[in-house]
Amino acid sequence: MSKAETPRGLKPAARRSRFIAHADWSRPIPRAGAFLTALALALALTLSAALTLAADPPKPQPKPPEKPAARSDQAGDEDADQKEKDKDEEKEEPDRYLAIQAGVVHTVTGPDLRGVTLLCKNGKIASIGTDLDVPDEAELLDASGFHVYPGLVAAGSSGVVGREPVEDNTDVYGLNVTLALAGGMTTVLAGNTVAKVTYGTLEDHVIRTDAFVNVSYGTGSPDARRRLRDSLDKLRQHLRDVETYEREKKLNPQAKAPDDKWIRGPAQQHLKLLKHEAVAIASASRAQDILDLCELARQYGIDLVVRGAWEGWTVAPQLGRAGVSAIVTPRDRVTRDERYNRPNGSSIENAAILHAHGVPLAIVPSNTAITTWGVAGRDLLHLAMEAAFGIRGGLPQDAALRAVTIDAARILGVDHRVGSIEVGKDADFAVTDGDILHYMTLVRWTVVNGRIAYDKEKDSLYQHIRPDEDRDRPAPTDYWPRRLGAE
Amino acid sequence: MTSRGDLNVECRMSNVECTTRWLMTTIALTVASGVTATPARAADPAGTAYRVGKVVTMDAADTVINNAVVLERDGKIEKVGRAPEVDIPSDYRIVDMPDHWLTPGFVDAHNHTAGSLRDLNDMVYLTNPGLRTLETIVPESELVKQGRAGGVTTVLLIPGSGTNLSGFGTLSKMGGESVDQMVVKSPGSLKIAQAGNPERYWFRVGRTFMNYNTRQTLEKARDYHLKWEAYEQQPDRADEPEYDPIWHEFRGLFRRDFPVSVHTQIYQVMMTTIDMLTVRLGLRTVLDHCTFDGYKIAPLVNETDAYTINGPRQYHFDRTERRMNGNAARWWQGGVRTLGINTDAPVVPEEELPYQAAMACWYGWKPYEALRGLTIIPAEALMLEKDVGSIEVGKQADFGLWTGDPIDPRSACELTVIGGKAVYDASKERRF
Repeated sequence: MSKAETPRGLKPAARRSRFIAHADWSRPIPRAGAFLTALALALALTLSAALTLAADPPKPQPKPPEKPAARSDQAGDEDADQKEKDKDEEKEEPDRYLAIQAGVVHTVTGPDLRGVTLLCKNGKIASIGTDLDVPDEAELLDASGFHVYPGLVAAGSSGVVGREPVEDNTDVYGLNVTLALAGGMTTVLAGNTVAKVTYGTLEDHVIRTDAFVNVSYGTGSPDARRRLRDSLDKLRQHLRDVETYEREKKLNPQAKAPDDKWIRGPAQQHLKLLKHEAVAIASASRAQDILDLCELARQYGIDLVVRGAWEGWTVAPQLGRAGVSAIVTPRDRVTRDERYNRPNGSSIENAAILHAHGVPLAIVPSNTAITTWGVAGRDLLHLAMEAAFGIRGGLPQDAALRAVTIDAARILGVDHRVGSIEVGKDADFAVTDGDILHYMTLVRWTVVNGRIAYDKEKDSLYQHIRPDEDRDRPAPTDYWPRRLGAE
Repeated sequence: MTSRGDLNVECRMSNVECTTRWLMTTIALTVASGVTATPARAADPAGTAYRVGKVVTMDAADTVINNAVVLERDGKIEKVGRAPEVDIPSDYRIVDMPDHWLTPGFVDAHNHTAGSLRDLNDMVYLTNPGLRTLETIVPESELVKQGRAGGVTTVLLIPGSGTNLSGFGTLSKMGGESVDQMVVKSPGSLKIAQAGNPERYWFRVGRTFMNYNTRQTLEKARDYHLKWEAYEQQPDRADEPEYDPIWHEFRGLFRRDFPVSVHTQIYQVMMTTIDMLTVRLGLRTVLDHCTFDGYKIAPLVNETDAYTINGPRQYHFDRTERRMNGNAARWWQGGVRTLGINTDAPVVPEEELPYQAAMACWYGWKPYEALRGLTIIPAEALMLEKDVGSIEVGKQADFGLWTGDPIDPRSACELTVIGGKAVYDASKERRF
């Protein structure tokens, strides 16, 4: 993980050693009397000593994240000192290779490639081609006859990785981690953090913290609306003042900088929105709420994602023009209410209509947790099936796939890392035995950060369902028996 | 029949506007046809011909016909065959859907949405002989309309599982403007719930008491039936038994005119069900749900004529084996061939009945068998196999026209036909 992608809550020392990441001094110490305070202080001193010891000199374990030298393309802003130090630490760490001989590679952003090899180095896709020089030490995965998709991206999840701060709470051996991987998922939005579904390791677990700025702008809460607009107005004025000051400073060095001490808390977040450093997210299902959000986005020039968007199809052109993205569930259905003198309600066509008007979509199921209680097919484990329902509503196949891969990644702001199969991106794949949007396709392997994180034949969960020895069966679409001759 | 509508917002305007447009068009057409001087009103078509890409008939020979024509007349299927071999009479209306699959209308053996939901569970006693769902049916309700958007044409509307014996279910079509038009058969089944939900009755009751209570209720009913049967066989031998409205409808159950629908799941509970109802009382049994580790009793089921209608839980996480067990697949592996799928709507929406089959296949079942489990198997279980469940001459014209494999969530049902009448047309309004 490069420095630029360090989770914001972590300090450099903590970054080096995840196991002491909980020593976060920014958190308040509970004040329950002098004794407690003293105890806490003593504990803090002990911990800080431990931290110092753990950080310097560096111990061989826990294993530091691997940082290949080849990563210079993304490490432009890394200070050379740190880099040199890291290099020293990892000198003995050999490069980690994985070569996947693929049947069909669905790159998502490019054409499908047949019979190519994917060479991954240190968790990234190093090259894609037919006559690659595969190093002898590379781990080999023979997936010829299988389909390789980018790992699926879930733009909403609960219970797959831990609650925030995610890296402190994820149980990397949890059942849900393996189930998510068996569903082909490699990246999930959990709370406001985008995390990888890493099995058995916390290395490169978090891609991004503070993915969105939550805004509340519903017709039902006029006060929240007023507060948001006030805040944005004030901040916009502040930005103008700063601009004026910058100009004035050149003429008059004594010019007084505008006061920015008041910009804290929500205002700080809102400032990020105005500066395009962050993306706003809002839940809205009714047409009026969606339109108001579009207007907000247009007026203040902020980037916005709408969650829900049941009646999005009725205002799809406006959504498209405002450049607003949407996180939708194709099966969200709302019965039309004839009391409204406008089109309303929602059907399975919602996603298709939004797509036709150029609204970037991420698809999530109605239940973003993984359930093992069996009322099947409406939970996160069957994310691909929710995308399939989008197709039922008229969404093109490729758009449905994008809505659970690259488009979802783009909405989460992590498309430079995941969501498609391209050289330089993370080596995250769902290797399946068929079209990933087909109801009989199972994931055979899942690769996360260049490591095989799930192997169907080695895990008892799905091992017994259509095992490898049955692979001479006809392809799923030909399961239909006694088909008469083509006519 | 138009192809899939393009993404035009106007065509989804309110009903009022649609109706206005439709009226205008109709008036214009009527005027036009008047002008072209047809002396008598153009006769209604004598029947309908469906020209489709594939018919999956679900008949005993597993016939699948590509490029086929299905003729419908008077609500019945008149002819099924390859397009070149079927002559379409000139007075038939033609529905041309050359890329679509035509499958039998789906049959859901466990439904609660064809009637009013608030009357689902009348939890008066722990066993409620005499209650029935016939009175609760709501024709053309929103839930009924949604259900047929998933190609579902026949359902068994049964009371809930809040008590051990919650009343008689009603076999009902998913179309019809009155209760009479909808109802196929009442009673369609007797609903019994074993373990689980009825344990919540009062301050909780245990399984031993529940089994005793169910058993003694049914034994009373059987004694009543046997008394009447003895009298009917030899009227001169005994006095006419006293008529009792509570027990009288049970006579059909013991004559095996209709089955008992049992909410039952879990290994031990299902064993009790089979032992008590199927073996000892000799009832025609439809086992509903059949989930968790219930599949372990497959050998027992195979010894009886019980039907296994699995759902809506399609898998079971086995903690001892750390396995995701597909329930349908495990029943199938156990040799059970009377295996169907249900939704327990509204637990799972009625229109997602085929999706339940998709999930069963995801977890290891086979699509063709799953499609049987949506059509002919539940039709047999509910003793309707002479009328519905397959595309065969003489059966009712109940079918769905799909854009492809009906189990695949990517396929959409574009037209649902019940008794020859289109009850759902996606080109007019998409409800799913």
